[in-house]
Amino acid sequence: MKEPRKLMQRREFVLAAGLVGAGTAVGVAAIVKDRLPSEPIDPTGEGTVRNLSVLKNLKPQEQEDVLVRMQRELVTAMAKPVEKRHWIMVIDIRKCIGCYACTIGCVAENKLPPGVVYRPVTTHESGEFPNIQIRFMPRPCMHCNNPSCVPVCPVKATWKRPDGVVVIDYDKCIGCRYCLNACPYGARTSDFGRYYSSDAAEGAQAGKDRPVEGRVLPWQREPNNEYAKNWDRKDHGSPVGNARKCHFCLHRLEVGQLPMCVTTCIGRATYFGDENDPNSLVVALKTKNNVQTLIPHWGNQPQCFYIV
Amino acid sequence: MTSHVSASFGIGRETGAAASWNVVVWLLWIVLLAAGVYGVALRFAYGHQLAGYGSFVPWGLWIGLYFLAIGMSGGAFVLGVVGYILGLPGFSNRSELRIAIVLSVAALIPAFIGVALDLGHTERLFSILSSPVFTSMMAFNAWMYNIFLVVAAVCWLLSFARDSLWLKPLLVLGAFMSVLFPSQSGVFFEAVRTNDFWHSPILSVLFLASAIALGGAGLLVVRALIGPEAVGDEAEAERTRSLDLLRIVVISAIAVHEVFEFAEFSIAFWNPGVFSPNVMFVLFGNYWSVFWLLHILLGVIVPLALLLTPSRGLWALGALLVVVGFAAARMTVLIPGQIAGQIPGLQAAFQDVRLTYHYSPTVMEYLVGCFMVAVGAALFYVGIKLSRLLAQRAGLSV
Repeated sequence: MKEPRKLMQRREFVLAAGLVGAGTAVGVAAIVKDRLPSEPIDPTGEGTVRNLSVLKNLKPQEQEDVLVRMQRELVTAMAKPVEKRHWIMVIDIRKCIGCYACTIGCVAENKLPPGVVYRPVTTHESGEFPNIQIRFMPRPCMHCNNPSCVPVCPVKATWKRPDGVVVIDYDKCIGCRYCLNACPYGARTSDFGRYYSSDAAEGAQAGKDRPVEGRVLPWQREPNNEYAKNWDRKDHGSPVGNARKCHFCLHRLEVGQLPMCVTTCIGRATYFGDENDPNSLVVALKTKNNVQTLIPHWGNQPQCFYIV
Repeated sequence: MTSHVSASFGIGRETGAAASWNVVVWLLWIVLLAAGVYGVALRFAYGHQLAGYGSFVPWGLWIGLYFLAIGMSGGAFVLGVVGYILGLPGFSNRSELRIAIVLSVAALIPAFIGVALDLGHTERLFSILSSPVFTSMMAFNAWMYNIFLVVAAVCWLLSFARDSLWLKPLLVLGAFMSVLFPSQSGVFFEAVRTNDFWHSPILSVLFLASAIALGGAGLLVVRALIGPEAVGDEAEAERTRSLDLLRIVVISAIAVHEVFEFAEFSIAFWNPGVFSPNVMFVLFGNYWSVFWLLHILLGVIVPLALLLTPSRGLWALGALLVVVGFAAARMTVLIPGQIAGQIPGLQAAFQDVRLTYHYSPTVMEYLVGCFMVAVGAALFYVGIKLSRLLAQRAGLSV
């Protein structure tokens, strides 16, 4: 059936213009709507106040360990509604000795499987013998004020809480890994559902002590407690398949405990606290003039500060 | 003197030569499908454990194929519609329009399969549609693809009606979207503002030019293979003219793509910047063979040489190579953008096979890629068969 050579009738043209115009308008409206500020996902107000009894009977002392001071400040901060707190981390890389206690402490606390890491420590060696310098730099999530990982999520499975912590809802995350590519700090890793013991038989000698091929030992299936929930890995359950990252140990903060990496730092190089408390240790440290942030030119406004 | 390839696959007229081509193509499809089904079985049995991507290179072959298929889908649709509305020779019939629509849909659906299998939680795929956030280009594109699918399906159905006021307006809407989504595929990468290699507006142009080349190449291959629906010299002459037109479109689109690709890469030479390591990785690093051998030699130089010959059989071969070449081109955008971490020493900080800035597709990934191709081919075959069946029932000659 040959079509007439006339391109379009006037009515067809009007309809086409209307469809394209309407489609464009709907698309623009959808984008603008999602760009506008929205109601916070997390609960706020008095319901988020925590009256913790930690260190209640221990009076402040001179020269007390910074961990004790930060613990007190944590209790004070938790007594405020969540929107009145703003958690930040300060890391003194002059004090870091590269012991990796924070990395391992984090892996243990959050029961991280192989290939998932929240707080690696990078090593930078410079100079020539005998004038050599080695610097260690822990790299947690920066909990940026302008996070590049959040807007790329297609299902709003990740967002910034009122207290500044960037979180992931494992039940919503579809595992597209767009956020992994968007984070310039490499702070997000994907949980590919691996287990430490499943490859243990590879290369092992034959005999009664040889591990069973592909066996997953029961302790590796123990649920973890991130975000104060039980996450069961059985049957590909979240967080398997999800993006994962440091969350400043929110589940520990809720009960008055400092993040695991802070607690395990034997050099007292990692500090944590509420930026909204002008008397806090982190505020005093952050305002020093030898404080830097990582790759500031991206405009992410990282909330992890390095004393160099 | 010109030679031409024409296998009918039971779709058009069948000649002796076509019958032997049919056997070859059917066998190839069966092998692709068998390999693909095995790959998909491995994917479901072992999850992502047999894949080569990790946390530092999170996207691999399937995402590359996804963007390739999206390009072909958009390109085929827009070329088919422009040719139909302008009444160009070899495009002005409804049956010819339907070939473009069916090819477009047949390319798009395997793209969804690739993405679905790439997700950590495939079962949550539809939450992109049920609870989207349009600050994400992924959500925006997902919605656009699905609306486009509906528009394409309605256009296909309306093409069987003798008179429809809505056919051309909907075709225009579909063409608008099919220009938009290949270029927005470039924005998918450009929107990653923290990646110097990707955060460049030139990617939209590259993706659009490659979509036109891919759509033209796809149409050229299928138009050369399946033969005209109608019998007669006029129909054959129309088909020849359409192949010639598609050949010119493909050559032009490749030329535009290469000009812009050169423009992008030449910056790294004139004034090396932060993304120069990525460009060097593509041109002279581990990816040199993908760029120079697969993309430039096999995907540009050889196809251009074949398309410039008078042999229509060689045009089809050249068009097929264009598709292979642009698959490589997609990977030269996708992978180099992921291989350079911005925190020095991060790879060595915590050692694991998933925490490296290196990526090579695994056998399982290639097998799933075969599945995507086999599904696309099957959808195209069924779509064309159905088109011709419905056209006969509707009493339309072609």
